Amino acid sequence: MSKYLDLSVEEINGLLKEKKIKPIDLVEEALERIENDKDLNAFITVDSEGARKRALELENEEVDNVLFGIPIAVKDNIVTKDLRTTCASHILDNFIPLYDATVVEKIKAKNMIIIGKTNMDEFAMGSTSQTSYFGAPHNPWDRKRVAGGSSGGSAACISARLVPFALGSDTGGSIRQPSSYCGIVGMKPTYGRVSRYGLVAFGSSLDQIGPMARNVYENALLLNILCGRDDRDLTSSHKKTEDFTRMIGEDIKGMKIAIPNFFVSDIVSPEVLSKLNEVVELLKDSGATVDYIDIDYIENAVTLYQIIAMGEASSNLARFDGVRYGYSIEDPVGIDELYSLTRGEGFGEEVKRRIMVGSYLLSGENAKIYYSKALQIRNAIRKSFLKAFEKYDLIIGPNATTTAYNLGEGLDDPLKTFLDDILVIPVNMAGLPGMNVPMGFGEGNLPIGLQIIGNSFDEATMYKLASFVERKLDLNNDPKEVK
Amino acid sequence: MADYKKTIGIEIHTELKTKTKIFSNSVNGYGKTANSNVNVVDLGYPGTLPTLNVEVIRLALKAALILNCEINKEMHFDRKNYFYPDNPKNYQITQAETPIGVNGYVEIEVNGEKKKVRIHDIHIEEDTCKSIHYKHHSFLDFNRAGVPLVEIVTEADMHSSEEAMAYVEKLRELFLYADISDCKIEEGSMRCDVNISVSKTDELGTRAEIKNIGSISNVGRAIEKEALRQIDLLEKGEEVAFATYRYDEKSDQTIIMRVKEAGNDYRYFPEPDIPFVVIDDEFIEEVRSSIPMLASERREKYVEAGISLLNANKIIQNRSLSNYLNKFLDGGINLVVASNILLGDISAYLNKTGLDIENTKLTDDKFRDVVNKLNSGDINSKVFKDILDDLMEKDSSVDEIIASKGIKIISDPEELKKIVNDVLSSNESSVNDYKNGNTRAIKFLMGQIMKETKGSANPELVNKLLEEELNK
Repeated sequence: MSKYLDLSVEEINGLLKEKKIKPIDLVEEALERIENDKDLNAFITVDSEGARKRALELENEEVDNVLFGIPIAVKDNIVTKDLRTTCASHILDNFIPLYDATVVEKIKAKNMIIIGKTNMDEFAMGSTSQTSYFGAPHNPWDRKRVAGGSSGGSAACISARLVPFALGSDTGGSIRQPSSYCGIVGMKPTYGRVSRYGLVAFGSSLDQIGPMARNVYENALLLNILCGRDDRDLTSSHKKTEDFTRMIGEDIKGMKIAIPNFFVSDIVSPEVLSKLNEVVELLKDSGATVDYIDIDYIENAVTLYQIIAMGEASSNLARFDGVRYGYSIEDPVGIDELYSLTRGEGFGEEVKRRIMVGSYLLSGENAKIYYSKALQIRNAIRKSFLKAFEKYDLIIGPNATTTAYNLGEGLDDPLKTFLDDILVIPVNMAGLPGMNVPMGFGEGNLPIGLQIIGNSFDEATMYKLASFVERKLDLNNDPKEVK
Repeated sequence: MADYKKTIGIEIHTELKTKTKIFSNSVNGYGKTANSNVNVVDLGYPGTLPTLNVEVIRLALKAALILNCEINKEMHFDRKNYFYPDNPKNYQITQAETPIGVNGYVEIEVNGEKKKVRIHDIHIEEDTCKSIHYKHHSFLDFNRAGVPLVEIVTEADMHSSEEAMAYVEKLRELFLYADISDCKIEEGSMRCDVNISVSKTDELGTRAEIKNIGSISNVGRAIEKEALRQIDLLEKGEEVAFATYRYDEKSDQTIIMRVKEAGNDYRYFPEPDIPFVVIDDEFIEEVRSSIPMLASERREKYVEAGISLLNANKIIQNRSLSNYLNKFLDGGINLVVASNILLGDISAYLNKTGLDIENTKLTDDKFRDVVNKLNSGDINSKVFKDILDDLMEKDSSVDEIIASKGIKIISDPEELKKIVNDVLSSNESSVNDYKNGNTRAIKFLMGQIMKETKGSANPELVNKLLEEELNK
């Protein structure tokens, strides 16, 4: 078996340019790796036929950019034309989209090759990917453990080195938390940085697509091509595209860094705290300052998230009714039966629970009592973060309170999944960019991740610090090699 | 029964005349093959997001200004959540919290009395798709899904079917004139829901809602029928149920559709996919200045110029003719003559050819010239009829057309006098009839002169000369 996919993207690009390898070599290698690691359950759909076809077509094309011909996996809540998109749900398990999401158009325009669609929590609702209709993906570091969620399949397939790139989505930590559990680099960009057109909506005011990759530089390379104003998404920003790698390698001397006290409180496990403290020492030694600060209402973020995300989800998921697409029961008696049986059978337990709670939260006077109030407090959180950024360049902390836990754990506790995301959710509330970069290992050789939070549209500075940490720690993040 | 007072409020949905839909770039068109003006956004496909057609904001703002509303300069959209097969996303994007216009009014006139109907609000929303039911199946046409609408909600200010009809007619006229909507009730581009209750006291009775009434006259009939039904119930000591009805034209009855349950729960919340829309003063003024002269003002001006109310209304019903006539409001021509030929021969020509007056060769100068010639008697209506086709179809001037037809207008009194005397001497018996008191003989003599001159004599002048000669 060839090992091209263990090379850096730039090395692969060199080989392609020199015509020493062809895109089909990369595709065959990725398909072989996916097949050999089938038990990981990282993919819902592998598009071997489409990927091979595209690779052969690309043989006649000029290698025009660094991402040319590189295989990429796409989270299965991002629609791909003619390629099944399920959202890990029974209700869409036969759904073939008619169009490409904007991000999919963008990666196709750079001649990247979509290898398949990754496993996830059903409609991205969960923190372990265990709510998937197709069963949970496993953590490559310990296959008895969860990969995290909801972008668990995307994180697992990069961690296991099946492909170098994946797209994820993050509504309340769904890129950062699995990246932390699987030891990869994941970025949730500023809300509005990447078009949401074609991302099946969960919490519209929170959802954001982002890149997931093996290292900081490659992650930034992928973000470079995902950004830009999209007239099909009115919430997408008019900010110009930029090169997010431009500050990578710069010194961090004089950088002002803050840590919210909440991020080092007793909700965080000792082994995670001790890794964070090691990084803090490293940063101080390198000439950065690190202060501990308070962010208003940060401890309420999970509650606010539940209200906002579930409220919006109850409305966003109303369209899955068996009338126009997706699963639909046979011979219903009347429209009410079509609705109730299609949705009753089509959605899993967690999704139904969130739709019901969300509907309740928006019902009658509740919309004012809960949803409007939540939007107000969310605004206060955002203001508090922005105020901190008047003084500090970046905010850091852990992404998860613990390392990945065992599959099956916490399934009977609907609240646990939210508490897993207690450190990542505040960032979505504030609409800010947040990322994960590995910062070490805990007991059982399980990855621990550092969260870096940036000011609005300041992803470049985040990459600068992330790459500094990555370089200084020089961890081996390939689970095959570490074991 | 007369001591019952009706109280009426009206909700009108009007489709806006835009090229594309409100939240997608599909064509906004009526009468096309089912599901041909449809894309993934209209179908509510997973992952799709709404865009916002600025033309919709412009037209809705125009409507709000015409209805004398206060403008919500910072507005957003809301989601109205309910399950129904004609509702592709199972939520409708509308404006619940910040309608584009609030606290307006419309002035109506009934039996010579003017009255203001207050407008509670005017808001923007998307239309649903159209369901067609056939046997045990329902078919959905998404061409209408996402067509922009404004909904205009009145206060319960009307107290008779006449007032209600006057209000609907007035709104139709306003929107038609401002080019906001086609206002075709029969095609559904204007839809009317009436809320009505009756009471003997100042306390309002339980209201019934009559949905989607198909014509303005049916608005009146439905109100009368529903009021009678309610009064009948109350007289029998029964209660009026809070319910939704439709008006059935054949049986001339209101028919119950569904009983309303208290607290219909639409779970409104701000639409997160569309950012707040900010309307600045500059935009408001730009839109305000684009509002053309409205029908009521036109009517006043026409009547002032001496046009009969009947004819004024007839012209107003045809916006293109009215716009044409308005070019001459500043004077220079006799507007009565102008309106007569516009409504008469010119309308007949336009109907026959299917042309719009702006697409004919009847330039402003030619129109002014021909009206003046008719007014002064230089040509008569027969000549006008003869030259009409050429006026509409040729680039030539009025004089050139008259000349090319071989028509000579004889306005020289000396020349005419000679012809008159010739005719009189060869028709002695008629002259004697006239002198013996049969004044109708003058008509015959007049006809003879016209025959002699092939209709080219100035009729007023001929009449004057005839009378002079006969009374000598």
